Amino acid sequence: MPSKKTLHIESSGQLCIYCGACVGVCPLNCIYLDETRITFDEKICTRCEICVKACPVGAIEID
Amino acid sequence: MQDLKTDVLVIGAGPAGSMTAKWAAKQGAHVLVIEKRQEIGSPVRCGEGMSKDWLPEVGIKPGKWINLEVEGARIFAPNETVFEINEKSAGNEVGYVVERDGFDKALAIDAANAGAEFLLKTAAVGVLKDGGRVVGARVKQFGEPFEIRAKVTIAADGFESQVGRWAGLSTNISTRDMDSCLQYRMTNVDCDTRYCDFYLGKIAPGGYVWIFPKDQGLANVGIGVQLSKITGMAEARKYLDDWIAKHPAYAKGKKIDMVGGGVSISPPVKQSAADGIMIVGDAARMIDPLTGGGIANGCIAGKICGTVAANSVHAGDFSKAFLDRYDRGWRARLEEKLYRNWLAKEKLCTLSDEIFNKLVDALSTVHLQKLSVHNILKAVRDKHPEITQEFAEFL
Ligand SMILES: Cc1cc2nc3c(=O)[nH]c(=O)nc-3n(C[C@H](O)[C@H](O)[C@H](O)COP(=O)(O)OP(=O)(O)OC[C@H]3O[C@@H](n4cnc5c(N)ncnc54)[C@H](O)[C@@H]3O)c2cc1C
Ligand code: SF4
Ligand code: SF4
Repeated sequence: MPSKKTLHIESSGQLCIYCGACVGVCPLNCIYLDETRITFDEKICTRCEICVKACPVGAIEID
Repeated sequence: MQDLKTDVLVIGAGPAGSMTAKWAAKQGAHVLVIEKRQEIGSPVRCGEGMSKDWLPEVGIKPGKWINLEVEGARIFAPNETVFEINEKSAGNEVGYVVERDGFDKALAIDAANAGAEFLLKTAAVGVLKDGGRVVGARVKQFGEPFEIRAKVTIAADGFESQVGRWAGLSTNISTRDMDSCLQYRMTNVDCDTRYCDFYLGKIAPGGYVWIFPKDQGLANVGIGVQLSKITGMAEARKYLDDWIAKHPAYAKGKKIDMVGGGVSISPPVKQSAADGIMIVGDAARMIDPLTGGGIANGCIAGKICGTVAANSVHAGDFSKAFLDRYDRGWRARLEEKLYRNWLAKEKLCTLSDEIFNKLVDALSTVHLQKLSVHNILKAVRDKHPEITQEFAEFL
């Protein structure tokens, strides 16, 4: 089975500004934003990269 | 924390949530509002521009949250030809620049005065279901989980729009129907406090750059870019930084604040109520797809939502059939314009800079009595007949 790409959401505050754009656009509704913490469900995420482009500041990376 | 019970549970204390809470409480329902942030209205995720003609309709009195009143809006074509829209021609399209955090707090205070209770630092993490019906939410307060049971649950959780989706209502948007936004509050800029400014064209594909003045020398400078036109990382920021660099009046400014977010530019959702739940505001994708403004529509729908919630409590009927009164109510008030503006947005997103230049040129030279589709098309036909066919579908 091909291994999935890895999605990194930088949520330590160095890049992320906690705007919620990624959360609202994720088609699988699998990102969750606390006031200052972003988490996402690896098992549900399809690596569609929509959130990567939606993030206005580039805090989400995929490789 | 012990599990709680209420008539109406409102999730999210933005304008739509507080307005819903106020109207439900005013009409005798027990209302509990939960907000995941520690402070209502902050951090601000908004350009802070809004029209004002709708305020009396929902019972909002002008308050200290008004920054300034503008005379009009200016639309700048890619070649920077300007078209001015003023109160006379646009009616409701011009208005106030506000302190959004103060505005949101004022609405929460109104709701509290009407009898609603608020719980801060309390996030919904799931919905409670009984059979197919939503009967409240699973929440976390300061990290501690508990349940809130409610006769009616209102998803007013903003652009993130998770609660409705947990309940099975579809609020997913396509990449053509969302703008990725970034804004700086800038000081030491040469803004004109009489106008809200909008810059169109490929400087902001599928969106625009906005300058909303807060004071002499102080303005919100922001951008929205259509997600389907974004190809890589952090493009909203790059487009905005490029635009600022090319405009000396702003390039000399200093950034004192940064705001991001998603704005839906979609047609309205197909279903906004189900058994035991209603969705309202950004969560129901009620933002005007042409202007990107969502405060007014969220408040207008919030009033209808709160009223129906209270009525359903009094009637003891929380079925979709009953709550659909809300669905019909907000559609009667808002849907036609939302749909029309969505079509207009779909068109504008396809225009080249050259056509934008001609369109704005036509509008700025032909004296428009009133801004209407008919008058705009007439202006185009008189001044630039060669681009009329671009707009044939609106005839
Ligand atoms: C950059 C930007 C600029 C904008 N500029 C303008 C403008 O100039 N004029 C205009 O009219 N509109 C503007 N908008 C749109 C406007 O901000 C929204 O339409 C408006 O805030 C919608 O109000 P709401 O109550 O639906 O949602 P929100 O104001 O987003 O409120 C939702 C609330 O729910 C809370 N919440 C979310 N999830 C949960 C949960 N799970 N549990 C508990 N609480 C939760 C959030 O913390 C938030 O407080 C802009 C948007 C952006 C992103
Ligand atoms: S890659 Fe796609 S599925 Fe995964 S978190 Fe981002 S938007 Fe959601
Ligand atoms: S879109 Fe980017 S900046 Fe906004 S919350 Fe998501 S990761 Fe953070």
